[in-house]
Amino acid sequence: MAFLLRRVGFYVAAFIVAATFNFLIPRLMPGNPVDIMFAQAGGTLPPEALAALKETFGFIDQPWPAQFVAYLKSVFTWDLGLSVKFHPLTVNEVLLRALPWTLMLVLTSSLIAFAIGSLAGILAAWRRGGRFDSIGAPIALMMQAMPPLVTSLLALFLFAIYWPVFPTGYAYDPEIDPGFTLEFFCSIFKHAFLPIVTMALAQVGGYLITMRNSMINLLGEDYIVLGTAKGLSDRRLRMAYAARNALLPTVTSFAMTLGASFGGALVTEVVFNYPGLGYTLFQGITARDYPLIQGQLLIMTLAMLTANFIADVLYVALDPRLRKG
Amino acid sequence: MKFFRNLAALAALLPATAGITEAMAQAAPLDNPSTLTIVANFSTGWVRNFNPYNETTRLYSAREFAYEPLIIFNTLHNGRPHYRLATGYDFSKDLLKLTFTLREGVLWSDGQPFTAQDVVFTYEMFKRFKALDTLDIWERLAAVEAPDAHTVIFTLKRVNANSLYELARIPVVAKHIWSKVADPVTFTNPDPVGTGPMTEVRRFTNQLYVQCRNPHYWDAASLKVDCLSFPQIGNNEQLLAAARNGKLDWFGAFMPDIERTYVAADPVHHRYWFPPGGTVAVNFNFDSPNPGNRAAFRNVNFRRAVSMAMDRRAIVDIAGYGYPIVNEYASGLGRLYQDWVNQDAERQFGKFAKYDKDGARALLAESGFRDVDGDGYVDNPDGKPIRFDILAPNGWTDWVNTTQLVVEGLNAIGINVRVSTPEPASWAQKLIQGDYDMAINGYFTGETPHRSYDTGFHSRFSGKTRTAPTRFNNPELNAALDAFVATIDPDEQRRSMDKVQMILAANSPYVPLFSNPIWYEYNTKRFKGWFNADNPVARPDVFDGTPERLLHLLALEPVNGGG
Repeated sequence: MAFLLRRVGFYVAAFIVAATFNFLIPRLMPGNPVDIMFAQAGGTLPPEALAALKETFGFIDQPWPAQFVAYLKSVFTWDLGLSVKFHPLTVNEVLLRALPWTLMLVLTSSLIAFAIGSLAGILAAWRRGGRFDSIGAPIALMMQAMPPLVTSLLALFLFAIYWPVFPTGYAYDPEIDPGFTLEFFCSIFKHAFLPIVTMALAQVGGYLITMRNSMINLLGEDYIVLGTAKGLSDRRLRMAYAARNALLPTVTSFAMTLGASFGGALVTEVVFNYPGLGYTLFQGITARDYPLIQGQLLIMTLAMLTANFIADVLYVALDPRLRKG
Repeated sequence: MKFFRNLAALAALLPATAGITEAMAQAAPLDNPSTLTIVANFSTGWVRNFNPYNETTRLYSAREFAYEPLIIFNTLHNGRPHYRLATGYDFSKDLLKLTFTLREGVLWSDGQPFTAQDVVFTYEMFKRFKALDTLDIWERLAAVEAPDAHTVIFTLKRVNANSLYELARIPVVAKHIWSKVADPVTFTNPDPVGTGPMTEVRRFTNQLYVQCRNPHYWDAASLKVDCLSFPQIGNNEQLLAAARNGKLDWFGAFMPDIERTYVAADPVHHRYWFPPGGTVAVNFNFDSPNPGNRAAFRNVNFRRAVSMAMDRRAIVDIAGYGYPIVNEYASGLGRLYQDWVNQDAERQFGKFAKYDKDGARALLAESGFRDVDGDGYVDNPDGKPIRFDILAPNGWTDWVNTTQLVVEGLNAIGINVRVSTPEPASWAQKLIQGDYDMAINGYFTGETPHRSYDTGFHSRFSGKTRTAPTRFNNPELNAALDAFVATIDPDEQRRSMDKVQMILAANSPYVPLFSNPIWYEYNTKRFKGWFNADNPVARPDVFDGTPERLLHLLALEPVNGGG
């Protein structure tokens, strides 16, 4: 218990520091939203519009202390204000448009990568030096090293353009109206297949290697030798004893991935024209949309800290040594 | 292993589900209005915002297509008027009152009559909510009144012939709808009631929306297209993919090597036309923070030498793939406004706008610029070094490549300059604040060349906007620009514009390179009547900011006569 309370205290402090940085850093970037609107609009936004725009976006021109107080309030009220880039949508609305898609993509691909990677890592470590290990581990490392951009573009080119098996973009077929129909869900599944697979491929290598390495460290332990001597089956030893202990580092990294999921996957979203939080944040940054940036960073911070906290709790559940204090 | 077995089973289901989806899609009823597929801007997801005054998430089909302008002035044909909601206009003798006569029998898309009251209401609304006044028209307007249902009189604060163009294009909204809206600034107007040809929103999702025919459109006889479809496209690559597949009818984009990437996919139907647009030029900062650079930039012969070092033909062919049109006017007029050219100015100063490397070196030498400190580059006559970066916005590849060729040209005549590519936001900020030495920049277009010169060089904009970063302040130039809009007499306007050109040609405050092309690609598979080089009726692009796109829409009809 004391352990958990200490952790909670640490997280509150971390949150305060992170929240302050999330507020300051966007505002320290050169440029301001109105000037950027003119720069990006090219010839369509006449200089006369300056007065109208300053009037519309007066809410970001207030002095920093006032903005900071409003920002702190938003942490508790969850009213993150009006977006500048997507005016008149509120920041909540902008984030909610992309959130379900991002969560689906990241959570699914992470789960698949975690499951496949861990199982394969266990197998590779158990039959260390065997055929699976000698081929599987290097391939996993190679996939880990390949940038997700390359994997996505290759997948898009091969399976959506050269052999048109899958669609080239969108979250669902534009001709179908959203609703609780089988047609709609089939369309979502078809459009999400390539993004999920490419994202899973990018992560699977990491889980495999982590699991394999922590298993290999454990295989020399006394209790494994004792278990073999006592006649426990291979499978029981492997799963209930070795893997269970080797799982701990993987759990941490999985929790971090889940926490980072609110940052979206920029590359996948751009390549597959998929709605997502990654591109939203990118657009917010280039447009200096302070409410959107600080709102999204706030959610990302909370998600990351919560995920870490859950990982800590799980650690206590999984590792009895921590329960003592 | 059980896991893998299950995965295999799941994978086997895939073709089955794909088949189901196809079948379901085909079973949809075949109600077939003639639908024009358009991409007018990039978006990551449509927001249902038809508020014509919103500058951030407004759909680019709200203006002109849902809300028709009073008059459309044809930029490609010297500003000739096409009367839409107004049938005529009249300036009072003192040029302070502008009267529009409105067309009779125009209805809003809900059947209510369109009258002068709607115009008055719209402008009064701007007074109450400044955020809607996107042209800041009340800075120039004193009053607006409607003596009867079809006449509107605008009273101006000062004489300005350009007010005609502004007042003619501001979208007018319905009094009976917008008077009930509490906050029109954040009102997204999801179901627009408009006077334009396309007001009915048949479908709307984040990825696609369809806007269809106004049931009460006053000019329905000219409208042969039933619906407009707008697929959501996020970037140039996706646009190219969709265009190659023949899915798009009307769009505009920079496509590298367009003959090979777009036209080759369907040589019969995939077409394009790039008429000349706004000027792209190199700007000097007359108030550069570095004294050596500042001294050089303020020397007219240095500026002329820079201009002569530019191989504009090579820049257009290499950086622009040959699409832009070279601008070798001493005044920077540009091909779009060639009817306004001041031949005298071009005769006297035209040689400074042509590529002449040796002439440039000679001009620098005889003006006293020579290498004083022995670093291989020229310095000021008094010895102060000349060294700077030229800014180009990161990511705008044709401009970045242009800047690199500019740098090559300048290095060849001995000027110490390198390229710097800050983020577009940063580039714009530096231009506005004067925190730069040289930069590449683009200018506005208007119905006449006045807009481009005014927003670029009139002192009232100097140092306040991105298009006026030069800080070249010339009272004579200001006077000539003001004189142009103080009259509606074409001869007087011509004289003022000649004077403007002469001053700019003599001083070379900037170095025009080329006229940006107007991006316009089209597909003749489903529709005909397209504007092109053989049929140059008006500016052909579909971008918001080009009112002529309404005329283009009305000129189109389905290829097979229906459906």
